Amino acid sequence: VRGSRRLRLTLVLLLLSAFTLTALDNTTAESGPLAAVRRGIDTLFGPVQRAMGGAAGSVGRALGGLPRLGSYQSDNRKLQREVDALNGRLASLAGLQCQVDQVHQLMHLVDVTGYSVVPARVVAVGPSGGFEWTAVIDAGSADGVKPSQTVLTGAGLVGRTTKVSAHTSRVLLLADRDFTVGGTLAQVASIGFARGNGDRPMTYSLASNRAPVRKGDVLLTTGSDTYAAGIPIGTVTAVAPDSNAISRSATVAPFVDVSSLDLVGVVQNAARTAPRGVLRPVGPGPSPTSSPCPPAVPQGPVPTSTPTPSRAPVPTPSGTASPVPRATATPTRSP
Amino acid sequence: VTGRRFLLGVASVVTALLLQLTVVGRLPLPGVAPDLVLVLVVAFALAEGPMSGLVTGWSAGLLADALAAHELGRLGLAYGLAGYVTGMMQDETERSTLQPFGAVALGAVVALAGYVGVGLLLGDPRVSLHAVTRSLVSAVPYDVVLTPFVVPLVAGLVRRLDPDPLRRT
Repeated sequence: VRGSRRLRLTLVLLLLSAFTLTALDNTTAESGPLAAVRRGIDTLFGPVQRAMGGAAGSVGRALGGLPRLGSYQSDNRKLQREVDALNGRLASLAGLQCQVDQVHQLMHLVDVTGYSVVPARVVAVGPSGGFEWTAVIDAGSADGVKPSQTVLTGAGLVGRTTKVSAHTSRVLLLADRDFTVGGTLAQVASIGFARGNGDRPMTYSLASNRAPVRKGDVLLTTGSDTYAAGIPIGTVTAVAPDSNAISRSATVAPFVDVSSLDLVGVVQNAARTAPRGVLRPVGPGPSPTSSPCPPAVPQGPVPTSTPTPSRAPVPTPSGTASPVPRATATPTRSP
Repeated sequence: VTGRRFLLGVASVVTALLLQLTVVGRLPLPGVAPDLVLVLVVAFALAEGPMSGLVTGWSAGLLADALAAHELGRLGLAYGLAGYVTGMMQDETERSTLQPFGAVALGAVVALAGYVGVGLLLGDPRVSLHAVTRSLVSAVPYDVVLTPFVVPLVAGLVRRLDPDPLRRT
């Protein structure tokens, strides 16, 4: 009987303390002693997560080649071994090729936008339970990462950094319901913001109910204190039919699948407006046909403020969009 | 609680949490990934009773909370509750082979209910019917699948530390 009384007392005590912590943390979000505790635990867990995340990644890449093995009916042991070894190498080469492609894509976006980017790998996810969408990357304040910086891949926006420790940072992914980013449709220069929606596509709320949104339009970041401008977010897949409301909303499928992230980049020199060149006065002389802008001036990937009759070229997730004007001013920081 | 038992608890919780964040949580499974920490908590509850489940769940949950984006204490409450409830099911005399599976399923549902309940009280926008049903149909069955890998392991470790079943509970 005494034992069960003690048990019930402990139950009530622990549950109450957990709830008190929750309430405290809910009200004193970013400051106070609880934040210090979290930072401490982050610092302790970060290096281990880095080490384990890297190892787990290589195990996963190695396992990716396993299904190809064993389907050969050769009696020759030696041949079988050779085939196995070659298949293993093929699988690892495929993994490497995948990484090269990711780096290539990221470099392409870096070239187009002119942003300097700190490369990083995703080493862990947050304890989500399906409700939260966060990730841990292996770059921290020692690499120049600060809280509230844009995280992207070559395909487009991934999220923003939240808590940064020395060698790891946490990233709030664009699928999280707490995630909001200002977005502009490349084709119509609309104003609005996109919200995370869990495993479902994002919701883009437009400020105007008359903006001519069409299926297939590309959504870019508007640019703010946190987010770099002109980063592709996704494509519009559906437009809410009600145009009587004050605003309207559209469904946006992100370019980046945040459930299978590997290489990402953290934007360091985020411009608050879309990257663009300076218009310079043209010197006297009859050259109306020559371009007024010197070719050395970096040009933005897309016009974000002027609706154009023809579809503007935008960076697509496939990375094959070659008509994008390449900025000649390449970022100084290289991975 | 001996020093060695305390060390076992800390080591297994930290290991399970790290494995959860770096491997299990990133498995390319449809739906929500299984929760290794929750299965571990239920395993301790089944091996040692409600007090062990409660304390293990509470501490493991608080540690997980510190690494999450939500408020501290939410998983502490959820896992503590799950450990307590499943610990009440523990009975050395009549145990069937299916009991651990049922206990893990019950624990997963209780933890989910605890997390969602506090989320509703706080007005957490992340808690939605879609997310809850998704978790119910994917994470809970996955947790049950993890049961035969975790529960016997924990039971064996606990038994090795203290072979007397009466003192354990």
